[in-house]
Amino acid sequence: MALYTKTILLKDTNLSQEDRTRDFYTHFLQKLTELNLSELVQVVRASDVGIYNQGVVIKIIPGNIIYANVKDSDIARIIDTTIKEGKVLTDLQVKPRGKQLRVVLRNCGSIDPENIRDYIGVGGYLGLKKVLFEMTPDKVIEEMKKSGLRGRGGAGFPTWMKWKFARGPAAEKYVICNGDEGDPGAYMDRSVLEGDPHSVIEGMIIAAFAIGATKGYFYIRAEYPLAVERIQKAIADARDCGLLGENILGSNFSLDVEVRLGAGAFVCGEETALIASIEGRRGTPRPRPPYPSVKGLWGKPTVINNVETLANIPYIFLKGGEEFAKVGTATAKGTKVFAVTGKVRNSGLVEVPMGITLREIVYDICGGTSSGKPVKAVQTGGPSGGVIPAEYLDTPIEYDTLAKLGSIIGSGGMIIMDDDDCLVDIAKFYLGFCVEESCGKCSPCRIGGTQMLRILERITEGKGKIEDLDMLKRIAVAMQKASLCGLGQTAANPVLSTVRYFEAEYKEHILNKKCPSKKCSQLASYTIMQERCKKCGLCQKYCAAGAVSGSREEGYTIKQDKCVKCGQCFEACKFKAITRE
Amino acid sequence: MDKLTPQELDKINSGAKGSASDWIKVGMSTCGIAAGADEVHQTLKDETKKRNVAIDIKKCGCVGMCYAEPLVEVKIDGLPPVTYGRVTKEIAMKIVEKHVCGKMLVNDYIFELEG
Repeated sequence: MALYTKTILLKDTNLSQEDRTRDFYTHFLQKLTELNLSELVQVVRASDVGIYNQGVVIKIIPGNIIYANVKDSDIARIIDTTIKEGKVLTDLQVKPRGKQLRVVLRNCGSIDPENIRDYIGVGGYLGLKKVLFEMTPDKVIEEMKKSGLRGRGGAGFPTWMKWKFARGPAAEKYVICNGDEGDPGAYMDRSVLEGDPHSVIEGMIIAAFAIGATKGYFYIRAEYPLAVERIQKAIADARDCGLLGENILGSNFSLDVEVRLGAGAFVCGEETALIASIEGRRGTPRPRPPYPSVKGLWGKPTVINNVETLANIPYIFLKGGEEFAKVGTATAKGTKVFAVTGKVRNSGLVEVPMGITLREIVYDICGGTSSGKPVKAVQTGGPSGGVIPAEYLDTPIEYDTLAKLGSIIGSGGMIIMDDDDCLVDIAKFYLGFCVEESCGKCSPCRIGGTQMLRILERITEGKGKIEDLDMLKRIAVAMQKASLCGLGQTAANPVLSTVRYFEAEYKEHILNKKCPSKKCSQLASYTIMQERCKKCGLCQKYCAAGAVSGSREEGYTIKQDKCVKCGQCFEACKFKAITRE
Repeated sequence: MDKLTPQELDKINSGAKGSASDWIKVGMSTCGIAAGADEVHQTLKDETKKRNVAIDIKKCGCVGMCYAEPLVEVKIDGLPPVTYGRVTKEIAMKIVEKHVCGKMLVNDYIFELEG
């Protein structure tokens, strides 16, 4: 069988018009047959080429030459110049963007997570070997300082500093891997634990060596059964190979680890609550200081690092801290994994260098919104973060710039919203999440959250008063100042940032009793457009309040005095004959 | 497995390089499994067995393209490695028939991202 020497992938990336992929496919095949090249070159229709709205895109392998906006008339010269002579047509060429950079996800999807040899084959545990046999704990911390790695769990505290604080003399010390990922829509840690568990274990061993710990804990939520299964398998394999347990790799350093399951409380991602949970107590936070680095698990110095932070560490020691620090900005080094969800075409995990703009993530990597409408806002950082409006899409992403905008990088959740999303509703959703998850220990969080939620509910029901806006801000500030832990201190952020950027939208709800995105069903009024109505009667069937009157002969109308504005008729109508305004 | 020494660690590492044999990788994280990767993996195994093809079928983690799960990456000697997305049982059978056995890429299901 003849093997092809070249491959042409092709795809029409214009979504607005009819798909011309097949036409171009046929034209290419015809032309190649005419020139007797069809045995040597294969043409393949792709489903996605990672480029959008640039006409017909073709990619030629080998060489990875990408041409965009290819016209019918270009086919002949592409074949003549590029296929036959191997020369590039610069007027058609687009550079592959390659905006993603994989450090944390370097092995995810390319190795078998259940096979330790696969991991060693890609350089796994070699960083550890270097640490154990060539470095002292102080040198390890020095290397971490060079790398500039900051915690990926949310707060962005420099990792080396955390380790240094735990360096003091103590008979027992602990390392904990925080895998209690709770933000709605965020699943970076799950993917790392499932796709590359050994990198997290290796990171933990290095951390333990640096601070002198002899015992490690993985705290993973029970909702991640596959992640737990894979990490347990990985721990067992590592132990069998002598990479965990007594005298690791024949050195005089020993560490054993254990998995603890979290029962799904959001607050247990907070380090002091997490420690309480591991100790078998109720998962509630305690005031800091003393920080866990000084007095943590069982009262002993403890370092708690997030899954993603630990997964970075083997890379740092394999390639060197300086190499790691080459990527990123002055204050934020390395990469960050984001879980991009919401109204976006390609949702999923993206790993990008720090300092990339939101626009690049949303439009270049994720292909823009799924609806084709412009982005209205981006929510980052989950319930502790804020909403960034579209005019700030060009802000480089790093810890400090997002903080200035009233949001945070957080653990890496990113939710894209378009014009159909109501920001008051979004704020209500996140606040509702925090109210539900508040442990109830301190009153600012317990009472403040509930009161704010009540106000937001009132606003979305059309019963808001203009004074409510000030009240929201006042409660929010009180919560930020007086709450015991991060959950309460940040719970008001989504509300504060939406009030800051979308005050007009709040006012529209309060003063005009209208929801501009038509999301708040309580503010809408429903009417049947008689000219579109097919008299099917579905709306009447779905109306639980008996507000739809009429019959299949006469047609239907909605009685406004009886309507409870649930929106069921609107959802049910197949002919879009019901308007919501 | 016996306890490893640092030298053995290096040996495994260097031994893994340059292995150019053919393989299929199936994304089998929670996202992939939820989208049906289990069935795809089983189909690939059954089909290759039926056709007497010896090929390494690996279960891997998530590469991040969650919208296109289940993902199947195929590397066959002489062809560029490609990733197929939204793979179903039927597409998995096509992959074995055309790509693995016929040494031709399968139309319409390739997801080529990141240049």
